[in-house]
Amino acid sequence: MIRTLVAAVALCVTATVAAAVTAGAAGTATSYLADPQQSRLQFAGQQAGAEFTGVFHKFTAAVEFAPDALASSQFDVQIDVNSLDTLDNDRDTTMRGADVFDVAHWSTAHYVARNFTKTATGYKAAGALTMHGITKDVPVDFQFTQSAAGVKLVGHAQLKRLDFGVGQGDWKSTEWVGDAVKVSFSLVLKPKG
Amino acid sequence: MPDRRFPTRYSAVAQGFHWVIAALIVVQFTLAWTAVDLPLGVHKLALLARHKSFGMTVLMLVVLRLLWRLKNPPPALPPGMTPPQRKLARITHAAFYVLLFAMPLTGWMMSSAKNYSVSWFGIFTWPNLIGKNETAFKLLLSTHHILSYALFGIAVLHILAALKHHFWNKDDVLLRMLPFTNAGKPKPEKRS
Repeated sequence: MIRTLVAAVALCVTATVAAAVTAGAAGTATSYLADPQQSRLQFAGQQAGAEFTGVFHKFTAAVEFAPDALASSQFDVQIDVNSLDTLDNDRDTTMRGADVFDVAHWSTAHYVARNFTKTATGYKAAGALTMHGITKDVPVDFQFTQSAAGVKLVGHAQLKRLDFGVGQGDWKSTEWVGDAVKVSFSLVLKPKG
Repeated sequence: MPDRRFPTRYSAVAQGFHWVIAALIVVQFTLAWTAVDLPLGVHKLALLARHKSFGMTVLMLVVLRLLWRLKNPPPALPPGMTPPQRKLARITHAAFYVLLFAMPLTGWMMSSAKNYSVSWFGIFTWPNLIGKNETAFKLLLSTHHILSYALFGIAVLHILAALKHHFWNKDDVLLRMLPFTNAGKPKPEKRS
């Protein structure tokens, strides 16, 4: 009787350990595309002491991710800079102009991340942003949630516009237009294919 | 100690409100007239940012000034003014208060309608009064503009009236609003 019990316990332990080992092993990242209708990419800057926000209406985000497959995860985001919208035509036109984003020469911004780590609140992507012809490291903090409602990727990043040469001539000054820009996003992911 | 219910001179506080607001209005016209001709750029942004900060300062001061005025009535108009003159003086002063509220409020609403939040010298940001609305912005811009001409006109009338009282009527209407004078202070009783 005791022998049977010990055997049963041993079996349970073995099964649990085996399951844990399997879970710990690298899985495969799932490939997703952000749903353009439900996803949002926003930025916030400082202008004359007050915050202003804008969005990029057009962007594509290809996401390969799984919490158990960080090593094979990756982000690839293409942003149509021309689609920026700060709810004011004068400001949008100025921002598209040669002295700011210069969309005539640099119409897309590109973010790529292949390096992911788990953090206390979610994950960190150590990626690089190419904008206005300049590439810089921009870490992104995000949360990845899977529920009955769908798969969501919500996060934010901080960058300095002048690191990318966004702001030439008078716009180089940070007295009236701040250097720091907050970027935030909320993506609804749909499995690719 | 003069009776506070029947002052003969504007209090130091009332004088302070009057002259600080008057100086800010001069600054406001200068900033606005300089900015309006500039192309959209950093320089215009800077001038308009200051214009907004000073404008919101005027709004706050006018609120305090009215509260002060309610507690501390101004000195009576001098005797010898005809009823139509008294009426014109009252209308002018009422119009000043209306405009001192209307100017910053239309300006604040303009900024809100264009989605440019108003900062107070970069220290804090005022909430937007209305949502983004290009039609409302244009309407508010012309209102702000027309009201500025009304304010300018009333200020000219006010200054001319003060000078007329001083040089023509030789009363103390101007002096009792001037600091560092004794006009309107009860004079020591003289034995005849």
